[in-house]
Amino acid sequence: MTDTRTPQRTLRRFLRDPALTATVTLLWALLGLFVLFPLAWLLLRTFTEGGSFTLANLAAILKDPSNRQAFWNSLWLATLVGAAGTALGFLFAFSAVRANLPPRWVTVLDAACLLPLISPPFTTAIAMIFSFGPRGLITYQLLGLKGFTVYGLGSTLFSETLTFFPIAYLTLKPILSGIDPNVEDMAFSLGSSRWHVFRTVTLPLAVPGLANAFLLLFAASLADFATPLILAGNSFPVLPTQAYLQITGLFDLKGGAVLSFVLLVPAMAVYLLQRYWVGRKSYVTITGKAGAQTAVKSVAPWARYPLLALCLLVSAGILYFYVLLFYASVIKALGANHAWTLAHYRIIFTEGMKAIQDTLIIAVAGMPLGGLFGIVVGYLVAKKPFPGRQAMEIVSMINYSLPGTIVGIAYLMAFNDPPIVLTGTALIIVACFVFRYSPTGIRATVATLQQIDPSIEEASQSLGAGTVTTFRRITLPLILPAFFAGLGVVFIRSMTAISATIFLVSINWTLITVRILENMTELSLGPAAAFSVLVVVLVFIVVALIGMALRRFRSTDAVAVTSILGG
Amino acid sequence: MSAVGIRLGGISKQFAHRVKGLVYAVRDVSLAVQPGELLTLLGPSGCGKTTTLRMIAGFERPDAGRVWIGEQDVTDLMANQRNIGFVFQNYALFPHLTIFENVAYGLRVKRMTEAEIGRAVEEVLRLVGLKGYDRQFPNQLSGGEQQRVALARAIVIRPRVLLFDEPLSNLDAKLRVHMRREIQQLQKQLSITAVYVTHDQEEAMAISDRIVVMHQGVIAQEGTAEELYRHPASEFVAQFIGRTNLLTATIVGSENGRTAVEVAGHRMYLSTPLGVKPTGTVRLVLRPEVIELKAADAAGGLPGTVAARMFLGEKIEYHVRVGEQLIQVTSYNPQQTHAINAAVSLHLPPDGIPFLPGSAS
Repeated sequence: MTDTRTPQRTLRRFLRDPALTATVTLLWALLGLFVLFPLAWLLLRTFTEGGSFTLANLAAILKDPSNRQAFWNSLWLATLVGAAGTALGFLFAFSAVRANLPPRWVTVLDAACLLPLISPPFTTAIAMIFSFGPRGLITYQLLGLKGFTVYGLGSTLFSETLTFFPIAYLTLKPILSGIDPNVEDMAFSLGSSRWHVFRTVTLPLAVPGLANAFLLLFAASLADFATPLILAGNSFPVLPTQAYLQITGLFDLKGGAVLSFVLLVPAMAVYLLQRYWVGRKSYVTITGKAGAQTAVKSVAPWARYPLLALCLLVSAGILYFYVLLFYASVIKALGANHAWTLAHYRIIFTEGMKAIQDTLIIAVAGMPLGGLFGIVVGYLVAKKPFPGRQAMEIVSMINYSLPGTIVGIAYLMAFNDPPIVLTGTALIIVACFVFRYSPTGIRATVATLQQIDPSIEEASQSLGAGTVTTFRRITLPLILPAFFAGLGVVFIRSMTAISATIFLVSINWTLITVRILENMTELSLGPAAAFSVLVVVLVFIVVALIGMALRRFRSTDAVAVTSILGG
Repeated sequence: MSAVGIRLGGISKQFAHRVKGLVYAVRDVSLAVQPGELLTLLGPSGCGKTTTLRMIAGFERPDAGRVWIGEQDVTDLMANQRNIGFVFQNYALFPHLTIFENVAYGLRVKRMTEAEIGRAVEEVLRLVGLKGYDRQFPNQLSGGEQQRVALARAIVIRPRVLLFDEPLSNLDAKLRVHMRREIQQLQKQLSITAVYVTHDQEEAMAISDRIVVMHQGVIAQEGTAEELYRHPASEFVAQFIGRTNLLTATIVGSENGRTAVEVAGHRMYLSTPLGVKPTGTVRLVLRPEVIELKAADAAGGLPGTVAARMFLGEKIEYHVRVGEQLIQVTSYNPQQTHAINAAVSLHLPPDGIPFLPGSAS
């Protein structure tokens, strides 16, 4: 029976349930304060001057040719990263699911894709400097090149592609594996060659997935702050770095706000396109009716090995970067003195200890809050009819879908002056992480709840349990896996994110990622490498712990690591 | 605790339909369930039976009308305040709890002591034949076992009424027959008032003290299985309860207080002298087993031709073409069998045939 309720009835039922009313009110207060208020403030500062509407701020920023250049650079870089990353992701996904590779090789590919996903976003960029920088292992040591510049579009593109292509891999893998081999068999039976089948059947079926992957990568590159800051150099300004420099270099808060608004426009366009158009298209249908069992024959047996070799080459490249990072952290100075030393670790655990402590305190504080926020919002959105529930779903996703630079600048401006002053506190950083990274938990919760039959909660109700008891005793345990996924993402991102929080750190509270960036600009590469290694190790430990927790709670179809990292 | 009744006073429930707008799922339904009675709501899917049950349970709130359990008006109470036991079609066991904890759930909500809970759960698991299953998880049990757990979980809280929503439709045919007997025995043993929803008329007839047939959101007829079968109040009920042939007969007069009708020149008497007009038509409700099939040359029958014939062991089913109409005939222990295309004659009982008012023609 269709359960569509009239608005009046929804309102009546909502008001009859005090626990629900209170929770919804609290959530709206939080979302209003930490999502809507900063964003409104940003727009207000961009478009008003002395209390009246104006376009002058926007015009002033756009008049500067270097800002216009940054706008086009950002779009151009994002397009290239989208194309290159999608191609690489497709290569990996196709090889993994349609080339009949032995399972252990598929595991290798999975692992290679996992590394960039759980590292700080600029790990690859740092390794690029180590390899190709002025004293780079490859350019200087190996090839003896002098005056080779690593900075610019080329290396930014290369680095972002390696960092973000796993997103394309995760997007395309289920789509490619969902293509029924019987469809390909059908084409074979009509006399097509393998190459012809690939071009006329497999590839067209994957088109919505490819478009989706492209847009996701486009958005990721558009929002990326750390890689361009390290690698793009002066000759290739992009919007996030330009906004950052406007604020930290020129102390022009308003200019930074306007620039981040310029970034907002394409980001929003891509988000809407991805979510409401491409994201919903799929040719792959799950009927639950298995076709005849048939082997996947997409790839000729001989062609498997070139595909695998190509993937392994890329994987080896990724692995090389991480080994190099570790190597740089245990020698005196890369490119100059390769004597073993633990000095860099001594530095990070003495001078850098505050950053480590701060980061851990913030991550550990944000983790339960973000996880709880994720399941509560996810539960209400999926299960409880209340007025404005769709609006709540959309609002809760805003900070997640915006580039971090925008969120950071908006927080900086909104919480700098009364009525609410949070600048310099840990709370502002925690809030930023909670509202920016809990949507993964929200989505995991919604997905889990959609698989739970409503009658299970009705059963609890019929046995005398009220809303709160039912949630605590029945629903909560069932959505625990989603809770852990949400928890994990908040922790991982608290350890690795920088684009928003770089605007929010202070003398009182700082973060490891910010210290890494500072080290990079001060050219103390050793401590930067040591910090990076520490972050990767900590994140690995947490991912492993969450995996164990998921298994313990008998979650059958573990809301796997992929969904933890999907954000 | 003595059993209490349930009373529905003109309850209605509307749903928003994607195409048709607001439609009535249940419209002005009133009925009374006697204390200790097992009453079945029977009807095809979409007839409103499940919605009615869910309004009794408190999962849906009626748009109009009141619901009483015993002397208490429970219309405004939530399900958890009504003290009911509900058995779901898909069992709805809590997948993360053991069988013991599933059954203990309602007792824990009532904050009973550990010792009381242990005793009560053990007793009820023994009652439903699941002694020793307490440490298993639901997904380790078969469908039938899961349904027993669901039943145990519902009765252990000593509810005032037991509500069943198509509890057996996920089980295979043999188990269904077995389980419905168990449910009926248990209900009588506990002497608890029960409302049972099903679309299976055989299940309804086997289990119920009384049946309420629902059709398009309203009650079509209520009565015992026998009353519904012998005296259907509408063509819908006649066709939904058991199989039936509907034949149009012309009223030709009345003799000795009985109404004489004719079908294809064959005269019969209807024993119930209802307010039938001396002219016009009536619809005869002819159950397949009351018709006797004889060879074509037998006198005084309706002539027909065998169109289909199914040998089913203890009986043979025929479809016989009479004029435009196909008549179903069931023949038990036949003296004589008839081949396909054979000319036959149908012999109807001379009286006692139930009938309905004639159709518009």
